[in-house]
Amino acid sequence: MSNILEVTNLTKHFGGLTAVSSLDLHIKTGEILALIGPNGAGKSTVFNLVAGVFAPSEGVIKFAGQTIHGQKPWDLARLGLARTFQIVKPFASKTVLYNVMVGAFLRTNSTHKAREIAEDVLATLQLDHTKDMLAGNLTIADRKRLEIAKALATNPKLLLLDEVMAGLRPTEVDDMIGIIRGLRDRGVTVFVIEHIMRAVMALSDRVVVIQFGQKIAEGSPEAVTKDENVIKAYLGGEYDAA
Amino acid sequence: MSRKQLDRILLAVVALAAFGLPLVVTSPTYLQILILLFFYAYLTTAWNLVGGFAGVLPLGHSVFVGIGAYTSSILTLQYGVSPWIGMLVGGAIAAVIGVIIGLPTFRMRGAYFCLCTIAFAEGIRVMVENIDTLGPLKINGPRGLLVPLLKDPTFWDYQFMSKLPYYYIILVLLILVLAFTWFISRSKVGYYLAAGGEEPEAAAALGINVANYKLFAMALSCFLTALAGTFYAQLMLYFYPKGLMGLDLSFEIAFIALIGGRGTIAGPVIGALLLRPLNEFTRIYLSDMLPGLHLVIFGLILILVMIYLPKGLTAPLSALYDRLARKITVQGEAK
Repeated sequence: MSNILEVTNLTKHFGGLTAVSSLDLHIKTGEILALIGPNGAGKSTVFNLVAGVFAPSEGVIKFAGQTIHGQKPWDLARLGLARTFQIVKPFASKTVLYNVMVGAFLRTNSTHKAREIAEDVLATLQLDHTKDMLAGNLTIADRKRLEIAKALATNPKLLLLDEVMAGLRPTEVDDMIGIIRGLRDRGVTVFVIEHIMRAVMALSDRVVVIQFGQKIAEGSPEAVTKDENVIKAYLGGEYDAA
Repeated sequence: MSRKQLDRILLAVVALAAFGLPLVVTSPTYLQILILLFFYAYLTTAWNLVGGFAGVLPLGHSVFVGIGAYTSSILTLQYGVSPWIGMLVGGAIAAVIGVIIGLPTFRMRGAYFCLCTIAFAEGIRVMVENIDTLGPLKINGPRGLLVPLLKDPTFWDYQFMSKLPYYYIILVLLILVLAFTWFISRSKVGYYLAAGGEEPEAAAALGINVANYKLFAMALSCFLTALAGTFYAQLMLYFYPKGLMGLDLSFEIAFIALIGGRGTIAGPVIGALLLRPLNEFTRIYLSDMLPGLHLVIFGLILILVMIYLPKGLTAPLSALYDRLARKITVQGEAK
């Protein structure tokens, strides 16, 4: 299996602060990779670097074999790299259908076709009953789904999901796990940042753990949660791994 | 009767009424008020492409009215070019200048963008006021330009002895620009403009180059605005920088849009229907007491609308129409 995303020696400085430091990372086509780490570890910065929001200070980012760092978010979306935002950004004054159609227009110029794509995506995410509601009036769980729906409507190869479980009730988390698995079955490679460990364990094929912008562990979810460095990072240095 | 049929009937009735109105309104004074009403509705609809759909608030659009008026008039006066041609040249120049203004300013948000458009517009007005001749072009500084009255004007001269042709020209222009806006708002460009105006970061992540779409909307809006400038020059046959390119006109366009409903198709028309007669009558009856009182009244109305109907008058009116339409269509089905 080839790698859809390859990140080598990725570094980002904000003034004197090094948010990400010499990070190597790869995602295989078709897998679900989770990026975890304590608050402030640099997870969202990694996402923003990959999605083109910031240019990296150093390092190489390759998407589907092509070097992409320095390219703008709208160019990356066209190449097939879509993302959601941790703080959801719906077009609040528009209907849910309108929101998703904005995404769908990336692959078509026809309003009719965009509506078809959007309705299909809404059905996949079990949001069809909300399609005429204003996005600003949705519940938090539905807003998170709408974030995914908008991104999915651009027909991405790789989808970056930034904490789409945060703030959800346990049953809603279960639903979301089902949805994300469904995305993978549709052929989308998924890269998630997640804090809810139950979801990480259930979803991911592989987990990368970072702290202070550096990778401290990588492997299967089971192996990573038993890793001494990871336990130290999350629970403090004095905790005994045994 | 279906909802679609009802919409069509209503549109047809409004259009017929607009075309038939001069049969009832024969006084040139009242006809002039109607002409200016449509003129402002047209300007606001053109403004709405940027100010409404793209979600920014440009406050210098009078400059583009001025560019239209000056370009076509100078071409007519000095080179004998028909204003119909000059109108298109003025539109093209306005579009280019709009893009030049937009390039640095669309990076700014909110009030900073507003202030920059005001600064650009006032800068251009002051420049025009202080230039007498620009190379071979006679601009005439603060005195403005006088379009000479022709003895036997033809259609090609864009000059008419009665008000009636002006009425129909601006009505057709208004209908065309409304249809164009309707078409845009339902197309990819309309969706992209709205998305970029509301959440630029989210729009960029969905593949939208927000700045480019705003520039495109700005170019369109400035082009259409300049066409109305030529119309104004041919209607009044005299204009000067302070009257035509000043902030009063820019603000009135924004007032009409905000009160009518930004980013809606009907908003500019509804806003103009309310504010233009108010403007004319306060000017006729109150200007002796306090000049500029109509602007104070505008301000008060704007404050009230923003507090109680922040989306403008169109939102409650269209909700009312929805309710009535549902009743009518349900009754129709029952029969």
